[in-house]
Amino acid sequence: MPLAWFLQNLVNGLSIGSVYAVFALGYTLVFSVLGILNFAHAAVFTLGAYLTYVLAVGEFGLNGLLAGATMPFKLPFALALLAGAVLSGLAGMAVEYLAFRPLRKRGADALLALVSSLGVALILVNLIQYLFGAEIYSFPPDVLGSLPPAILFHVGEGMVAMRTIQAVLFGVSLLLLIGLVWFIQFTKQGKALRAVAENPDTASLLGISVDTFTLGTFFLSGLLGGMSGTLIGVSFGLSGPYFGVAYGLKALAVIVLGGLGSIPGTVLGGLVIGLAEAFLPPELSSYKEAVAYALLFAVLLARPQGLLGKSAEEKV
Amino acid sequence: MLELNAVTLAYGPVMAVREASLHVRQGEIVTLIGANGAGKTTILRAVSRLLDPKSGAIMFEGRDLRGVAPDRVVRLGLAHCPEGRQVLARQSVRDNLELGAYIRADRAGIRQDLEMAFDLFPRLRERASQLAGTLSGGEQQMLAIARALMCRPKLLLLDEPSLGLAPIIAQEIFNIITNLNQQGVTILLVEQNAHMAMRTAHRAYVLEAGQIVAEGDARKLADDERVRQAYLG
Ligand SMILES: Nc1ncnc2c1ncn2[C@@H]1O[C@H](COP(=O)(O)OP(=O)(O)O)[C@@H](O)[C@H]1O
Ligand SMILES: [Mg+2]
Repeated sequence: MPLAWFLQNLVNGLSIGSVYAVFALGYTLVFSVLGILNFAHAAVFTLGAYLTYVLAVGEFGLNGLLAGATMPFKLPFALALLAGAVLSGLAGMAVEYLAFRPLRKRGADALLALVSSLGVALILVNLIQYLFGAEIYSFPPDVLGSLPPAILFHVGEGMVAMRTIQAVLFGVSLLLLIGLVWFIQFTKQGKALRAVAENPDTASLLGISVDTFTLGTFFLSGLLGGMSGTLIGVSFGLSGPYFGVAYGLKALAVIVLGGLGSIPGTVLGGLVIGLAEAFLPPELSSYKEAVAYALLFAVLLARPQGLLGKSAEEKV
Repeated sequence: MLELNAVTLAYGPVMAVREASLHVRQGEIVTLIGANGAGKTTILRAVSRLLDPKSGAIMFEGRDLRGVAPDRVVRLGLAHCPEGRQVLARQSVRDNLELGAYIRADRAGIRQDLEMAFDLFPRLRERASQLAGTLSGGEQQMLAIARALMCRPKLLLLDEPSLGLAPIIAQEIFNIITNLNQQGVTILLVEQNAHMAMRTAHRAYVLEAGQIVAEGDARKLADDERVRQAYLG
């Protein structure tokens, strides 16, 4: 096995896998607090990509209500990424406020909340289509400024190329993961958030507002969704308002593979699926979209609770 | 200090407590005893606003608690140590205690109170960095009480602190309750262990199937024939 080939796939797999992890963590966070999958998350991912595009490029496409419109300003990519993510976080809060909270307050079944989030997802996607049109949006190649497109490393006889965008994907994802873990593990508000996730009644007896922290969780989740949507969009383009759907399905495989509700499990699941896709032999590349689920089924046969999930008996 | 006026509580269509009235004066230990399922926990949950009364009023220091958000109640000086030692199993003992002081911002004071909690329950100090879920039942109960004290409450609600504990540890808990009271904390103590509760408290209420059927001086009530038969065996 040539080392260069191995390293190349490692680079490819880790960079895309880290984005899968960030995206999937958005599902995990909400699941930890509410015990529900938020199906609107993939739509927020899509929204984030479109918002960043408009903020960074300053133009709309040829279809949709906003066809041909231009923005009065253009932001540098880093700033646009951040602003797009914050706006996605706000969209996430709106999802909680409109789709989840009213049902929760009425004590509705969790299944209803799930359907409700699916409804919000459809509305969001249709809104995106209405405003932006159904065409493909591609970030211009110079969106990252005048950086070289790739760095080449000589390894023995061969060569490993790390594309600049891959470095950006991995770097941004790593920063997000470290920031999130630091927040949840070591800050007072992060500990309060874990208290809400473990036992909402006890948390509120301690003076922790369950509603506020739930809203905050949706903000964080939306932020991660918007960020990862942009990162995927910069690498592969925005193939249309539905481009989040395929990634949403993949992220669902990630969280189940890693173990529902487990943050380390989600990160591991994202990396494993990213790497599996990268190491897929080229002659099988038309099955790339199936890799995540093939892997998922294989793992679940051996470990029904996922890689790092707790088995039913361990859960308190 | 705390006053319940004809409070009726229900879970959906299921009536749990009917027109209960009781009060706790500053400096007292008041106990609420009753059999399993009588509605004791339900009453405490209503005081902490985890449950909305169907009718009646709950007043704390002259203030009607209606409409107050549950996470606000503790800011008024009312701490609730819930039934079944609801420690946060996945966080350390120290983090549990620090979350008890969530509403406070005075770091120095919190550190001081943390030391006091460790002095009160030396076993918690030894296990400060252990996950709370790995403590024994008695230790978890101590942690739950210590955590409730971390907000410096004026009134402490205790829901069956002796439940499931060995008699010697239960006795230790009751001694600590008496000590806390002597230090100025007013206490509303819910218990099935009527013997110990009546000996610790100043006044008592007896709850039966959701209704208060007897009340008065704890010692006198303990001599009451009906109460003896039903609760003191
Ligand atoms: N979450 C709930 N839903 C429906 N009924 C409940 C619930 N919790 C308690 N009850 C009922 O309310 C009554 C009082 O319960 P509780 O307050 O827990 O009693 P105690 O604390 O005195 O043992 C019981 O009949 C119990 O079955
Ligand atoms: Mg009870």
